[in-house]
Amino acid sequence: MVGTFIITWRETIEAALIVGILLTYLNKIGQSNQFRFVYWGALGGVLASLVFAGLSDYLSVFFQDIGEDIFETVILFLATVVLTHMVIWMHHNAREIKGALQHEAELAITKNRLWALGTLAFVGVFREGVETVLFLWGLFLQSGGTPFAAPPVIGGLLGIGLGVLMTWLFFKGFGHLDLRPFFRVSGIILLFMAAGMLSSGIGKLVAVGLVPPLVEPIWNTSWFLSERSFLGSLVAGIFGYRSSPSLVQALFYLLYFPITLIWLRRQRHDFAQ
Amino acid sequence: MKRPATLQFGLVLGLGLWLLGTAAAEDGIQITIKDHRFSPSEVRVKADTKIKLIVTNDDQTAEEFESSSLNRERVVRAGQSITIFLPPLKLGSYDFYGDFHPDTAQGKIIAE
Repeated sequence: MVGTFIITWRETIEAALIVGILLTYLNKIGQSNQFRFVYWGALGGVLASLVFAGLSDYLSVFFQDIGEDIFETVILFLATVVLTHMVIWMHHNAREIKGALQHEAELAITKNRLWALGTLAFVGVFREGVETVLFLWGLFLQSGGTPFAAPPVIGGLLGIGLGVLMTWLFFKGFGHLDLRPFFRVSGIILLFMAAGMLSSGIGKLVAVGLVPPLVEPIWNTSWFLSERSFLGSLVAGIFGYRSSPSLVQALFYLLYFPITLIWLRRQRHDFAQ
Repeated sequence: MKRPATLQFGLVLGLGLWLLGTAAAEDGIQITIKDHRFSPSEVRVKADTKIKLIVTNDDQTAEEFESSSLNRERVVRAGQSITIFLPPLKLGSYDFYGDFHPDTAQGKIIAE
């Protein structure tokens, strides 16, 4: 029961973090009436996870062996781009607002950006959702006739509940920060998440043999932080931490930051005009 | 003209994925998951040689093949197989486990 509790708890925190940042951000720029885009995105992510996990047999015919990994990689790369774009846009807005005026400011937000927010919420949930659904469904099947009385199933559901509650409380506390410090913290979290998604995607391509690992592993830091520990698995899920990464994964992770900074500079130019 | 282009792209992508899937050859080291255990749970391989693992899940429930020392993590759905490519391994022992049933699903690869 404790084991299943921890797995769903972890996955839920990973998914809820993105949703929480998006909602808090909208709230801070005076656009809380647009929450529905994020909710729809998150709900869509849950539904898509159910469908994707449920269509197991059908999908295997289409995807064969490695197709599903390639599909997940495409999702991860898409998420990296959308996430980066959002951070750059949020960064621009945070610069616009001068401290005291923040609460009066109602920044205009275009339909395009709202869809981007919805897409991010969708991807954030979907990314963790398929695995969680497959896991919980397995527990249901194993529990025999009385799934809702079985400790592992209860543990799994409690994990989801606590994950949502904790993230909610976290952003309650976070909500007192002004926009600029909030942005600085969440922007950094989101950029590391994006770098992690990029390198996870590359890792999937390496695992199915489509991308050469170059050198693998380049180091081993499992003595310091192992993915099997709770903290390690959380850091792995959120920031893409790997204790024994391949060189190609590490390169993409590290190159992501300078490339994004260059993009950030150019965008700042465009916004200013 | 946007829609036909998108449709074509989708078709090509779909065909590509399908071909990539069928192109995977069938030789390699077989590991079977049954009753949430790996069999064999200990696999001996030659060091410094590329390895291909084929993990088949004979259970009714999904499993996740995971190993931090091998830097691999892949879901195997019920009744299905996946192929995992590993780089040439240095001498040593590499643990792997099933993330959905870590208490029972444990194994290791020994490179010698």
